[in-house]
Amino acid sequence: MPDSEQSSDKKNVKADAIIQLIVFRLGDEEYGLRIEQVKEVTITPEVARMPKTPPFIKGIANLRGDIIAIVDLEERFGLRPAGQELPATSYTLAIEAKDYTIGIVVREVPQPLSIPVSIIEKAPDFIQDININDKYIEGIAKVNGRIIIVLDMLKLLTPSEIMQLQSS
Amino acid sequence: MKSREQEYREIFMSEALEYYDAMSQHISELERNPQDQPSLNELFRLMHNLKSNSRAMGFTEIGEVAHHMETIFGLIREKQRDFAGSLSKVLFSGVDTLGTMIRAVGEEMPLPDVTTLLDNLDRLVRGEEPELADEELSDEDATRKLELSDLVYIQIKKLDHLLNLVGELIIDRDRILTLSKELGNTALQNTAAHLFRITDELQYSVMDARLVNVGSLLNKFPRVVRDVATAEQKQVELTLSGQDIQIDRNILQIITDALLHLVRNAVAHGIETPDERVKAGKAAEGQLRLSAQTERDDVLIQVIDDGKGINVEQVRRKAVERGLVSKQNAKNLDDDAVRAFLFEPGFSMAKEVTEISGRGVGLDVVKLAIDSLGGQLRVDSKLGEGTTFTLVLPTSIAVKGALLFELAERSYAIPLMHTDSVVSLMPEQLHIVGGVLMASIQSENVPVVSLKRLLYGEGPMPPVVRAEVQGRHDIIIIDYNNRKLGLIVDRFLRQQDIVIKPMSKPLDTIELFGGVTLLGSGQVCLVLDVPALTRLFLARRP
Repeated sequence: MPDSEQSSDKKNVKADAIIQLIVFRLGDEEYGLRIEQVKEVTITPEVARMPKTPPFIKGIANLRGDIIAIVDLEERFGLRPAGQELPATSYTLAIEAKDYTIGIVVREVPQPLSIPVSIIEKAPDFIQDININDKYIEGIAKVNGRIIIVLDMLKLLTPSEIMQLQSS
Repeated sequence: MKSREQEYREIFMSEALEYYDAMSQHISELERNPQDQPSLNELFRLMHNLKSNSRAMGFTEIGEVAHHMETIFGLIREKQRDFAGSLSKVLFSGVDTLGTMIRAVGEEMPLPDVTTLLDNLDRLVRGEEPELADEELSDEDATRKLELSDLVYIQIKKLDHLLNLVGELIIDRDRILTLSKELGNTALQNTAAHLFRITDELQYSVMDARLVNVGSLLNKFPRVVRDVATAEQKQVELTLSGQDIQIDRNILQIITDALLHLVRNAVAHGIETPDERVKAGKAAEGQLRLSAQTERDDVLIQVIDDGKGINVEQVRRKAVERGLVSKQNAKNLDDDAVRAFLFEPGFSMAKEVTEISGRGVGLDVVKLAIDSLGGQLRVDSKLGEGTTFTLVLPTSIAVKGALLFELAERSYAIPLMHTDSVVSLMPEQLHIVGGVLMASIQSENVPVVSLKRLLYGEGPMPPVVRAEVQGRHDIIIIDYNNRKLGLIVDRFLRQQDIVIKPMSKPLDTIELFGGVTLLGSGQVCLVLDVPALTRLFLARRP
């Protein structure tokens, strides 16, 4: 009975929706963002350093006529060993927050990855190894032995959050 | 070019027709639901507006009808009359008559006779039965024309968007112009030159579309002055002038609170009570003047009172008390420099808190609003004779003249509005006073600071030592609130009109930068905010 088969298929899809993530590396961990939060991925454009801003604000850049702030999350969360700088060629994820766009600089080319939404596990109440406040973390996905921390950018990128000097 | 008179007439027509449309709609609603409060309120308001507009334009008959109608809608609203029977018929015919009258004005035809209508309206006000002729509302309904206005209302948001797009276009145009010169292709250069002219024209058209009369703000002040004068028991006569000077609508919006503050201040603290005035040999009634005029590309708005003026010595004392200046230095400051303290945050001369002003909200709020526009605020005062506040405002916010310079291999811009002059000085022309560099510019001693030192680093700057002062220095003298400051930069680039884009979130909280602009080369150029820069220097000087 092809009809019934199809409908049960549909049910399966609904129960186990596939989501697409953009996966990138910060420090030693892999992080993921839902693809709909990412506007584009590009080679980091020329960044104009802004004096009197916290060090994790790399500066501002011209992205197709939009002037956006470029933020270094490794620095923001203290994920990079001291003294280590970003490589000469890095990549920028343009993230669309509620009413502005912001660039997040990463060292390696971000990769898309499709996973079923059901494998994202709720993050434990507090996470010891990393300094990221757990409220930005939507969950943790285990894919073939990889652990991907799925971030909720919209929570992370509120202006007060992003300008906060040091995460606790 | 249309005459102003004609332009006003067109605006009146389009508004009046719109009121008429809205009246027709609301009165129909009222017929379906005679208790409908929102419709009643709307009708009352529409009649009131039409009355004021018509009287202002000299169409007294329309004003008269609207006035009578307003009265009756007022009565209905207060539940003294019911919208029913003969009353509703008269009101319907009243709305129709207003429509006919407005159209007659538009076609420059004689206005219809309205004595019967006015009589009937009067009777209704007195609670009598109107005299209705039977043929009303019949022929005219069938032949009624539908009209569309020649004017469109547009949300300022849409014009903002348009202006932003033009700004982006200009940035790209400059880039194309630079590229075409680099490539040396004649056809491309010609096209680029044409593009240049067209975008210029487009920019001015959009800027023009955003202009409104200063009068649209000034005309709100007679009421404000009356209220404040009553509360403060003062006698004030307000004169307005220059209402037809044009300015960008958003600029007017931004200075609304500032102007309100200045006017309230003038009435509450500037102008004396009638008794005091008579004692001082002045007329009991104080004069307050609000005027607008154009000066080159700027618009000057002045608030002039003939009150008691600012006591410079009192301000000087207060500035020393508040630690804004040392007692020694305060003695040497000239009157202008002392009055500049009035614009310091929280600096209030009010001895007592009154309902109107003096709640600790000082002139600094006014200053901030003007600063945000890249404008200037000046104060001039003669003790016992009065005070004049002058707001120097740009006509448009879109384009600003700026000085471009290089610092640490990056381009920066400073708005020309705040630059005084540009000098190149050799080390022997610079002196060190108390760890700060000083230069003598036009026989005035101006502190000079390395912009690099000022922008980078934390805490108080180390005192300058002679050995560091080497080679020629390119210095930009900035001027803010009568304070001059020299900034040493790496290299002057050029003067250029720039389109300033506001800093995007979340960086918009950093006040040191007024925005960014894109150069023809595609490079991002930060625009320094002179007020913030001056404050930074004061905070970090050794």
